[in-house]
Amino acid sequence: MNCPGYAVLRVGDFSLRSLIRGDAALAGRPVAIIAGEGRLARLAEVSPEAAGAEVGLAAGLAMARRPDIILRTRDPAAEAEANRLLVAAAFTLSPRVELTAPGCCTVDLQGAAPERVRALMDRCLAELARAALPARIGAGATPLLADYAARRSGGVLIVDDAREFLRPLPLGFADPLPAHAAILADWGLATLGELTALPKAEVGLRLGAEGVALWERAAGETRRVLRLAEPARTFVAQWAYEPPVESIEPLFFRLRRFAERLALELRAAGFVAETLALSLSLEDGTEHRREFRLPEPGADVDSWLRVLQTHLESVRTPARVTGVRLGASPARPAQRQDGLFDTGLRDPAAFWENLARLSALVGEGRVGTPAPADTHEPDAFTLQRPPEAVPAVADPPVHGPRGLALRRFRPPRPARVLCSGDRPVGIESEVAAGAVCRARGPWRECGRWWEPGGWEAEIWHVELAAGGLYQLARGAEGWRVEGVLD
Amino acid sequence: MPHAPIRLDALRSLLAARFPEKSRGRGAPVRTGVAGIDAALGGGLPAGRLTELVSPAASTGGQTVLTRLLVSSRAARQRVALVDAADGFAPEAVPADALRHLVWVRATALADALEAADLLVRDGNYAAVVLDLRGVPERPLRRIPASGWYRLQRAAEGGPAAVLVQTPFGLVPAVPWRLVLGAPRTLADAGLPQEAIAAGIGVEVVRGHESAREQAG
Repeated sequence: MNCPGYAVLRVGDFSLRSLIRGDAALAGRPVAIIAGEGRLARLAEVSPEAAGAEVGLAAGLAMARRPDIILRTRDPAAEAEANRLLVAAAFTLSPRVELTAPGCCTVDLQGAAPERVRALMDRCLAELARAALPARIGAGATPLLADYAARRSGGVLIVDDAREFLRPLPLGFADPLPAHAAILADWGLATLGELTALPKAEVGLRLGAEGVALWERAAGETRRVLRLAEPARTFVAQWAYEPPVESIEPLFFRLRRFAERLALELRAAGFVAETLALSLSLEDGTEHRREFRLPEPGADVDSWLRVLQTHLESVRTPARVTGVRLGASPARPAQRQDGLFDTGLRDPAAFWENLARLSALVGEGRVGTPAPADTHEPDAFTLQRPPEAVPAVADPPVHGPRGLALRRFRPPRPARVLCSGDRPVGIESEVAAGAVCRARGPWRECGRWWEPGGWEAEIWHVELAAGGLYQLARGAEGWRVEGVLD
Repeated sequence: MPHAPIRLDALRSLLAARFPEKSRGRGAPVRTGVAGIDAALGGGLPAGRLTELVSPAASTGGQTVLTRLLVSSRAARQRVALVDAADGFAPEAVPADALRHLVWVRATALADALEAADLLVRDGNYAAVVLDLRGVPERPLRRIPASGWYRLQRAAEGGPAAVLVQTPFGLVPAVPWRLVLGAPRTLADAGLPQEAIAAGIGVEVVRGHESAREQAG
C-alpha cells in the first residue's frame, strides 16, 4: 500500500457546526445560519433537524415553514475556536499542516508509514466527533485530489485509483467558470471523467488557458506548496459571556469545549498539562483565579474536568461571570521513569514512529546507527536499528584517531592528477583543483584479492596551495577525490 | 516517609557532585569537546536553540568538530541525530564506539533533509540534532525560505535538543549563535591526535551575545 501523499480534513457546514458546538442550547434543535440583512436575509447553512427549510430560502419564508427554527448569524469567536481544534487534530496526522480555509485543513502525509495512516485518520475523526465537531477526511496523491475525496467522503476516503475516482464526479467539483460550465453543458459533458477523456491541448485550444487549468483540476493534477501552520505554542482559551452567567452549567459547558481543544493541542505538540489555570472575570470588575496542579500530568479531558468541577461546585462569586479563561502549562510526558543514570528513550512511541517516517522520507536503509563493517574496504559500513538505550561506554581505543576527520564525496569524484615521479603535484576535478604544495602517501590497501570483485587502491593526502586537504585514491578506475579532510 | 523526598534530593546532589558527567540535567548544554566552541557558547551547544557553525572553506575543521561532538556526547551517553544533507559523513573516521548513540539520516534532497530535521527536533528523545548542509550547492541553500528556519527555531524552543546547523556560509536568519571556523588546517596537523587538533580549532563569534549565553545556560 502506498502512502496517499496528502489528506484534507473538512467540516461540512462549518459555521453552523461551530455555532452549535459552542452553544449547548442549540444541540438537536432546528438551526440555520442566515446571510444578508433584513428582507435579503437567506439561509446559508441549515441543520438536518430543520427539515423543510433549505439553503437559499428567504429567512421569512423559512420561519413560515418552520416556526420553531432558530436563526443565527455566524459567530467568528466560535469559528476561531473550532478552527484551532481542527488544526490541532490535523497535527496528530503530520507536523506539516495548512489551514486552507475555515473548517478545512490540508495535511502533507509524505513519508508517513502507509499502514499507520488509516488508523491515525480514524483516531483523528473520533477525537473531533468527541469534541462535537464531526469532520470528514479524504486522502490522495495531490492536495486537490485529497480535497475532492474529502468532499465526497462520509468518513475516511483514501483514493488509490485517481482516474476511477474522478470519472463519475460532477463537473462542479473542478469549479469551472460559469461561461465554461455553460459551454461544457452544451458539449454534453457532465462529469470530470468526460472532460478528461478529451485531449487537454484540444480543450486548451477552445477554452484558453483557463480551460487547460480546468482540465488539470478535473484530472486532480494541480499541485501547490502548502502554507504551513505552526503548532500551538501557548495553551490558553478564553470566552466572554454576553449576557453574564450566574450558574455553573454554561460555565462548565464552555470549560469542556476548552479542555477538548487544549488537550488535543497539547497531545499534538507532544506535551501534557502539568497545571491548569482557571480565571473567571466577574461583573464587578474583580477576578477569581485558581491554579490546579494535576495529580498526574496528562492530557485527559475527563480528569481535567473532574478537577475543575470539584472546584467550581464549591465556588461562590460576589457577582455574575462575564468571562472565563483556562490555561494549561505544558510539560513533556514522562513515558517512563527518568533515573539519574537513565539513558533510555523518553518517548519511545515518538522515536520509532519518527524513524519509520524518516525511512519513508529518505529511503529504506538510509536511516540508522552506523557500524563499521569488518573490512578495510573504503566506505564500508552497515546501518543498524538504533538501540533502545544508549549502551555503556567502552574503553577508549589504544590508538585514538589522528589528523582531521574525513568527509566523503559519494560517489568519489573522478580527477586528473599531475604527478612528478609518483607524487601528485596538481589536481583537477569538480570539487578541488590547483597545485599541490604538500602530499603524504602513498598508503596501499587491498582486499578480497583472492576472489572476483577484489579491490586495491593507493591513498594520498594532499594539501592544495590555495588551501584545503583532500584524500585521493588511485585504483583500477584511475584517480578519484574520495573526500575532504576537514 | 515524610522526609523521603529530601533525602532523595540530597542523594542526587551527592551523586551529581561525585559523577558530574553522569548527572546532566534536562536542558543542560551539550558539550562539543572543542574547547574554543564550548567556551564561546558558555559550556556547549544550548538546548532548545539553534547554533550555526559556518565552515567558510575546506579543511577548517567542521568535520572534526562533528567527530568530537560524537565522542563527547557518547561519553555522556546522550543520543544524537545527524541529518546529512550531502551524504558526506564517513563512519570510519569516528571511533566505532562513538557511533552507538548516533542516528544518521542520509538525505538525498535538501527538502528531505529539512523535513527530517523538523521531525527530529520535535522528537524529544535527542540531546543534539545536527543538520549538516555543507556540500549542498549554494543556490538551493539560498532558496530555503526564512519561514522554514523560523519554523525549525520554534520547533526547537522549549525542547530538550540542542540543534547544530553546519553551513558553508552564514545562512540561518536570526539564529541565536553563529560561529565561524578559522583558517584552513594544513597537512602538518595530519599526525596530531584529534584532541590536539580540536584544541587548536579557533572560532569567531559573529552572532550571539551575553543574554543568549545566559539563556542558554
